Amino acid sequence: MDVRTTHRDLLQAIIARTLRRGGDFAEVYVEDREGLGLRLEDGRIEATSGGREAGAAVRLLSGERTYYAFSDGVDEAALTAAADAVAAAMAGGAPAGLSVVMLGDVRSAPDKHPVKVPPESVAIARKAELLRAGDAAARSAGAEIAQAMVGYGDSRRRVLIANSLGECVYDDRTSVRFSVQVVARRGEIIQTGMETLGGSAGFELVDEAAARDVAVAAAAKALTMLDSKPAPVGAMPVVLANGFGGVLFHEACGHGLEADAVAKGASIYTGKIGEVVAAPIVNAYDDGALTNGWGSQAFDDEGVPTQKTVLIEEGRLIGYLYDRLRARQMGAAPTGNGRRQSFRHVPIPRMTTTYIAPGEASADDVIASTPHGFYAKSLAGGQVEPASGNFVFGVAEGYLIEHGRLTTPLRGATLVGNGIDILLRIDMIADDLEMKTGVCGKDGQGAPVGTGQATLRISEMTVGGTA
Amino acid sequence: MFTVVDAVLELAAARGARDVEVYAESATSRRVKVFQQEVEQLTAAQRRGLGVRVFRDGAVGYAYTSDLADAGLDDVVRRAIDHAAVSDPDEFAALPAPAGEPADVHPFDERLTVATDTQRISIALAVEAAALAADPRVKTVEDTIYADGDGEVFIASSSGLRRSYRSNQCYAFAYVLAEQDGQVETGHSYVLGRALEDLDPDACGREAAARACRLLGARKCPSMKVPVVLDPFVAAAFFGVLSSALTADAVQKGRSLFAGREGQRVAGELLELDDDGARPDGPDCAPFDGEGTPCQRTPLIGGGVLQGLLYDTYTGRKAGRASTGNGLRGSYAGLPGVHPTNLIVGGPVTPLADIISGTDKGVLVTNAVGVHSGANPISGEFSVGISGILIEGGELTTPVREVTLAGDMLGMLGSIRALGDDARWVPGGSILTPSLVIDGMAVGGT
Repeated sequence: MDVRTTHRDLLQAIIARTLRRGGDFAEVYVEDREGLGLRLEDGRIEATSGGREAGAAVRLLSGERTYYAFSDGVDEAALTAAADAVAAAMAGGAPAGLSVVMLGDVRSAPDKHPVKVPPESVAIARKAELLRAGDAAARSAGAEIAQAMVGYGDSRRRVLIANSLGECVYDDRTSVRFSVQVVARRGEIIQTGMETLGGSAGFELVDEAAARDVAVAAAAKALTMLDSKPAPVGAMPVVLANGFGGVLFHEACGHGLEADAVAKGASIYTGKIGEVVAAPIVNAYDDGALTNGWGSQAFDDEGVPTQKTVLIEEGRLIGYLYDRLRARQMGAAPTGNGRRQSFRHVPIPRMTTTYIAPGEASADDVIASTPHGFYAKSLAGGQVEPASGNFVFGVAEGYLIEHGRLTTPLRGATLVGNGIDILLRIDMIADDLEMKTGVCGKDGQGAPVGTGQATLRISEMTVGGTA
Repeated sequence: MFTVVDAVLELAAARGARDVEVYAESATSRRVKVFQQEVEQLTAAQRRGLGVRVFRDGAVGYAYTSDLADAGLDDVVRRAIDHAAVSDPDEFAALPAPAGEPADVHPFDERLTVATDTQRISIALAVEAAALAADPRVKTVEDTIYADGDGEVFIASSSGLRRSYRSNQCYAFAYVLAEQDGQVETGHSYVLGRALEDLDPDACGREAAARACRLLGARKCPSMKVPVVLDPFVAAAFFGVLSSALTADAVQKGRSLFAGREGQRVAGELLELDDDGARPDGPDCAPFDGEGTPCQRTPLIGGGVLQGLLYDTYTGRKAGRASTGNGLRGSYAGLPGVHPTNLIVGGPVTPLADIISGTDKGVLVTNAVGVHSGANPISGEFSVGISGILIEGGELTTPVREVTLAGDMLGMLGSIRALGDDARWVPGGSILTPSLVIDGMAVGGT
């Protein structure tokens, strides 16, 4: 089965069928997804798992209402059943004026995120070798390494999206991710370290050297934290390291810039376009088109080309992240941020790769000019309430800053604050922009996202520790 | 579906695979979202697929497919065998051979099968209306959802196992934003059952509104070491993290704070904690787990002592004991893993009103943010953001927010002094818990 060959006449017929009782936008989404996952723990490759799922979804928009039906299976019967399920929801409606659609040519952009070595062309045994290389590197990092968990995953999603605007997009997406989690133990003290590598790219992304680098970085974090002391409690200057520090912007600000929260008035950024929401040195972007980026695709899951969107410019709020539905509601253009985890999920506005642009200082300067503070090298993830902007973050690796130098590693720290407050308090940004990979959860849907930033300083933030 | 499952077993046998298990599912679900008394989203879903687990000399391979035609079945069998060839052998990995009959439970209610979209929509509308009417400070109900599901699972294996059951469930949920003087606070609530008649939309809307409104006017508070009362929502979040540490998988891999503590005192003497997959009123009630093993009640903590852990077939064999029926699957696309079913927190209770009136200084915690990211399930250390209400002189006084609660899980369990009389199911983790009173917790504020 190849979704690309789904017959144009069938797609047109399904769109017309969906609109037969009314509605003002109809879409068919057909997806064939394959994946493979390998996992090593305790030096052993555990149950290897993978497979293939194909399914289709039909969506109908009527004003601000969404009707959505999906099923496993991509044959005519499955598509027809889905079309009938959504059309039934429009009981008593009249046929829409646009029920006759002529689909244009299929658009695709195969060169946007080049795949040099398709993962399915590589023997699974070769992928297993990378896990062993990662395991060996992590374990040789020190006698106190107690456990290493190494993961490899690749996926290929082929999607075909056709809608009542006559648009038809085919997108063939390959991604690869490699991760290492290490547990270090010294007596009763146990610490963990995690590092990942991923991209919208092929198997060329990972080789033995890359696997070793990831493992060594994860091991170093865990080992460092063995020497850590409980973090202090209180308000102090906080320096966020490049890379993982960007998770904070993603959670504390990014979610509030997604147009669904904005449209419902459930975001602190509602109605604040043009207003000052950050310090004047802050420029922030979302870039779903970043070549081979982990959060990148050529098109979003509504067939809109991805793009680089300005979110904040010199501290002023410039734009939000839209899917088609919210763009319609709010009179804006879609920004290519309509994403869905699979055909089983309704598209919603999501970040892709979101980052704060680099500044002029060096990372060393930022630390050196901080007499006393907290340095968050890597964040463990966190939660935010978009409505209030309040957030909490765990710090996986943190240090005390004393007299402009990093000193004691600190454990058990959390960063507590409010999204707008901390952006206004950014007073230094370094020049060392770095991107990291993550999987963001929202409304029960996981999406690969990139987060990034350069090293930056927040003049004051609450650190919640256990000391 | 058993026809397809049998076909897979035959294909696998033809390819020389001896120990094979097939898990298939077929399900439908509906979901309604309303906003400002209008339907915002209506979703209808059908799900159908199967997964094949092959054991070859202790090496395990898994593959899944949604394509139940001949080509798809042939492909999934080939993949499962290929995957087993890459995995390393493990002497404890073997085809499950469940002993005993499935638990005598029937998590299925015929009444739900005749529910109409009109009825579903009216429940969601009633939930939202109740929340909006509950308090003038309710600004909006950001999410109001009604959802239900109806599914059947089938398990068969080359050892002759052949089991299936059908289950259904419905729930409603509200997430409320309340506002006062520019400050926004949030609250949520759920109701769930197996028939529309089980759901009380008014109660759901009112509770979500009340939980948001009671936090309005919240400020930071000074740092202090005081007793805290975790309400059932917050207690459930902590037990959710603890329960993953109570799986044999986490313990055997040294990833649990309970490793090596079986038979030891790990909690306040009054705490009882059970996992019970066969509890009829539990959201996760089922006759058997994702490996065909009967669901049962498993005591985890009794009299404050760690009594046992949760096992699937593999971890059970490794420990030289039987599975507890906790080999659960998220869907046909995934391998079974060790997870809790329904967690039941019990023990002698004290009226919540007496607990509050007997507390000179403390915090009633009604909201915790970051329990999953801010708690380390291995070391047990945690530091989470909380909001709640100060208890002063035996009375609930000022709401607080932007404060942290820190400690370690074992220390916290050991300091449980009382349980409230307000036990309730908190979905998400399917946990039945009352409020917990914990002494000497570090509250970090200004």
